[in-house]
Amino acid sequence: MSSMGSVARLELRRLLVRPLAWVLAALTLAQLAWRFVLLLGNFLDNQVKLAGTPGAPGYTDLVGIPLLGSTLTMGILPFGLTELALLVVPLLTMSTLAGDRANGTLPLLASSGTSPAAIVLGKYFAVLLWLLGWLALTVAMPLSLAHGTHMDSGKLAATVLGLALTLAALGAIGVACSAFASLPAVAATASLTLGLALFTANLAAQKAGVGNGVWNWLSLSTHLEALLRGLVSSADLVWFALVIVIALALAIRRVATDKERG
Amino acid sequence: MTLPHPLLKLDQVRRHRAGRPAVERLSLTLDRGQILGLLGVNGAGKSTTLAMIAGALKPDEGRIELDGQDFATHPALARGLLGWLPERAPHWPELTVLEHLQAHARLRGLRAGGLKQACESTIERLELAPLLRRLAGVLSQGQRQRLGLACALLHKPRLLVLDEPANALDPVQVAALRKVIREEAAAGAAVILSTHLLAETTAVCDRVAILHEGRLRHDAALDGDHAALEHTFFEIAMNGKDQAA
Repeated sequence: MSSMGSVARLELRRLLVRPLAWVLAALTLAQLAWRFVLLLGNFLDNQVKLAGTPGAPGYTDLVGIPLLGSTLTMGILPFGLTELALLVVPLLTMSTLAGDRANGTLPLLASSGTSPAAIVLGKYFAVLLWLLGWLALTVAMPLSLAHGTHMDSGKLAATVLGLALTLAALGAIGVACSAFASLPAVAATASLTLGLALFTANLAAQKAGVGNGVWNWLSLSTHLEALLRGLVSSADLVWFALVIVIALALAIRRVATDKERG
Repeated sequence: MTLPHPLLKLDQVRRHRAGRPAVERLSLTLDRGQILGLLGVNGAGKSTTLAMIAGALKPDEGRIELDGQDFATHPALARGLLGWLPERAPHWPELTVLEHLQAHARLRGLRAGGLKQACESTIERLELAPLLRRLAGVLSQGQRQRLGLACALLHKPRLLVLDEPANALDPVQVAALRKVIREEAAAGAAVILSTHLLAETTAVCDRVAILHEGRLRHDAALDGDHAALEHTFFEIAMNGKDQAA
């Protein structure tokens, strides 16, 4: 446990001193803030019309949730946090293990008596902490107006849970890709491709009008969509847990075989 | 009093790398307080041997024992017992020298007061104070070697594994390195250092092993006769002759 904590602390420090993490955070939060302002403006413009419509969507449906995801919520603007995560997570995770391998520092970690599981999990938790901070800053935008609006806190909580699980799953996939790649750029490309494939696996099935089946089950968007609607089901939570566990188990296995491969 | 087992024991260790045998049936032991120089031409298998001893590589066959315990089944032994300076002293370029020392100390299980004390004494011993706030990525190769050595020494290991430690060091730094190695051995640590410089071996080691094409060709106490060692080394390197003592 302590060696995993030491690896997590080291990785978090490396994340915080590299310009990439700060640039990514600044650019994406600026984009999300601009998106929040536009969504809020649109909500205010339509407030009179919405007030006269029984059962009309409110602040949470028209501002809070679309800020976090656009494809699934059919928001008026592209690139919510979900879509940005598909790009940000690979960039953030690409160096976790591939960078250490390229630097020659991965054998140093192994020779300090740190197990492959502690190395992988330590790095994963450091990345996850950064991603959750990023999510918290984004969620703070709609929450900043909570005192003046009627917020559906249950629905927003389900959405935040869905986003946290999405970030955790994409982070695990990114760390696994970094474990298998010899160079960070290869890890980022593989992670981006896998993330997009997982996100859009059900597109063809949906276009064909198929609402269930293996492609829908495989797709990340199927499980995230339910959470964005405020529906928390154990089947969706298990799907996210499975993806995270499988990705991290593969990463641990790959790091363990480094001693054999040399 | 004689201890029941050597600090390090390699028994019939084999390892392939890049499809060819890098180390072939290597057996040797190292006791506390000994300084073993591992000599060999480039590609002789020195770095592979040291990486296996450090736990960064697994032998294909054979057994490595640290303090009487099988290293393969007790990899965590490395944490407190072993310090390793790999060739080219790998580092995290975005971290400062101080951050490196702290990270390595934490990885070795040091915390709070112990960590602070270990860092302070190592900084003083290796004269790293002027470099503490510098990023490792901008250090010269010699400075990086010193940082790598500091990271290997931080937790007072009982087995110090040094791969080409004198690389890129100036003569003053080489003298300081030799002093540190002798001090470690005097304090009871076993030191194994690889080099292809004969002078480095005769200056600091009390025993020398020569590897050639992955095989141990010579293993004997060093009697200070530089010319004899040079003769043996070239006999092995040029003609591949066995000179096992």
